[in-house]
Amino acid sequence: MDVTRDLIIVTRGLTKDYQMGSETVHALRGVDLEIRRNEYIAVMGPSGSGKSTLMNLIGCLDTPSGGEYVLNGQAVQDLDDDELARIRNREIGFVFQTFNLLPRATSLHNVELPLIYAGVGSSERRERAEEALRTVDLGDRMDHKPNELSGGQRQRVAIARALVNRPSILLADEPTGNLDSATSAEIMAVFEHLHKNSGQTIIMVTHEYDIAANAERVVTLRDGQIESLDADITIPHAVAQ
Amino acid sequence: MPLLEGLRLALSQIWAHKLKSFFSLIGVIIGITFLIAVITIVEGMNRYVREDFAGAIFGINTFTIVRRPTIRTGRTTEEQRRRYARNPRLTVHDVDVVRRSAPPGVTVTWDSDRGFDQVRYGERERKNIRVIGASEGYATVQGWDVAQGRGLSPLDESRGLKVAVIGPDIAQKLFPTESPLGKEIRVGPYRFRVVGVFEKRGGLLGGIWDAAILLPFSAYDQTLSRDPGKLDEISVKAPTEKAMNDAMAAVEGGLRADRRLRPARDNNFDIQTSSGLLSAWDKINNVLLTVLPGLVSIALVVGGIVIMNIMLVSVSQRTREIGLRKAVGARQSDVLVQFLAESSVLSLMGAGLGVGIGVGLARIVHALTPLPASTPLWSLALAVALGVVVGLVSGVYPASRAARLDPIVALHAE
Repeated sequence: MDVTRDLIIVTRGLTKDYQMGSETVHALRGVDLEIRRNEYIAVMGPSGSGKSTLMNLIGCLDTPSGGEYVLNGQAVQDLDDDELARIRNREIGFVFQTFNLLPRATSLHNVELPLIYAGVGSSERRERAEEALRTVDLGDRMDHKPNELSGGQRQRVAIARALVNRPSILLADEPTGNLDSATSAEIMAVFEHLHKNSGQTIIMVTHEYDIAANAERVVTLRDGQIESLDADITIPHAVAQ
Repeated sequence: MPLLEGLRLALSQIWAHKLKSFFSLIGVIIGITFLIAVITIVEGMNRYVREDFAGAIFGINTFTIVRRPTIRTGRTTEEQRRRYARNPRLTVHDVDVVRRSAPPGVTVTWDSDRGFDQVRYGERERKNIRVIGASEGYATVQGWDVAQGRGLSPLDESRGLKVAVIGPDIAQKLFPTESPLGKEIRVGPYRFRVVGVFEKRGGLLGGIWDAAILLPFSAYDQTLSRDPGKLDEISVKAPTEKAMNDAMAAVEGGLRADRRLRPARDNNFDIQTSSGLLSAWDKINNVLLTVLPGLVSIALVVGGIVIMNIMLVSVSQRTREIGLRKAVGARQSDVLVQFLAESSVLSLMGAGLGVGIGVGLARIVHALTPLPASTPLWSLALAVALGVVVGLVSGVYPASRAARLDPIVALHAE
């Protein structure tokens, strides 16, 4: 009982099929996954393993072909577009490999964006966006536009945007893919800080072992199925060295 | 998304692409400019015709008997033209008939117009003046006021005195430094003594009257008349509109009796009133106002298509932005509102610019020509409404395409 209440994500037999011309591609072939609240998870797998598809489903950007998905106690597999938009707004904070900031908007305005769709009034929006930017240590860059910021700063703005509506999950898709190793370490430190202090569940897709090593648990996928729910990644890491 | 947020976003987006926005608006700007400019001038003409022009030509509560209509409405058929040509010219005898048949209390005046000529005083000369031989009282009925000296008197008429009252433009040209009163001017071989100068009228047609010379009919008939004994118009001014209608019926009957027209035959003369002129103007007006919506619609349809295309380009350029907005919680309706607000604000700006340019053009026309200008409020409301409608209609398709984008595909668009 306690265990189920502590689970933020539960999937049962999750499948996703795509139609590619006359062929049906089985991107996910029945994924059973449980993630606890405040867990820090890395998802790994070769390209074509289905990790992007799984992330899209977990992020409620897409609906599964079959199976169940319970997010924070709510079954979301059958929701319509508007309900999914609401879930994305309230429950999920996305961090993308390419940051996806609005180029003409200031950091502050970029961070405010989810709150606009949450219907938050402008003064509270500003307050909360400022607070989120201070959390990622960008209190002095609020009025800067993305092209006036470094790559690491841009990704921190994106993290602030993901945090601002206090979602239950932070979903990061290759968050360091466009950053050098020093900046990557900076971003990983931010995640570590959030994990320790804000109680957010962090799910991070990556193909870099040393990035995945920051997570508490590594889930690996292969051919649309879970390969390991708690993979030991120290060996390839050691081999690489 | 609240509408206010959508509008704010639309404004910043439009501002960020000022030049592109402006060019995308050209169709709407042209359409609305045209609408406002034409309405402004038509409305100005309307007021002018109603308030000044009709009264200026015919005077108030005045009707005029002529050989054939001088202002024709619609097309004159060949048969009508032949009939008018058979009408006899008016003569001094007709003046007596009119005077006898008209009820008491009306003023009867008559005149003959020689057309354009030239006048000289010493070395100075003014061309293109109108020479009119008129009965006493003509100037008063026409509403011409004398600024200097006096008007024509019954004595001038009865004695056949060669005197003249001249228009202010002539006075200015021939007598730039001296008083024209008492001086002798020459028209053709004849000399006339100036006894008065008319007040300046100005306006659209005032220029013609401001350069006219009024002579006593008797003197004119003996000297400059091309057709002695004949005249062009007999005007009857009544004190009220009802008296005018009564007098009109009486005079028509009197003339028909004098000319021995049987009941079945048409009049072989024509009676004109200012209301006849107004109906002529109304016909012109109606044609303008019927053609206008067609022309404006064409411009607005073109303008709408341009806006739609620009919006489609904008949607495809901003696919990632749309994907991101959806990822952070924008619903389809939020995206729809955002793009509809953008196209509407864009089109509304076009309408606003169109109104500004249209009113400006009308003002310029007003300043450079005697054409009056008057922009009615309803045309501004119409322009704003058209702007919003064009924006909404042309935004529907691009906005719904944006709203229906799959967030996953949109986020990974290049």
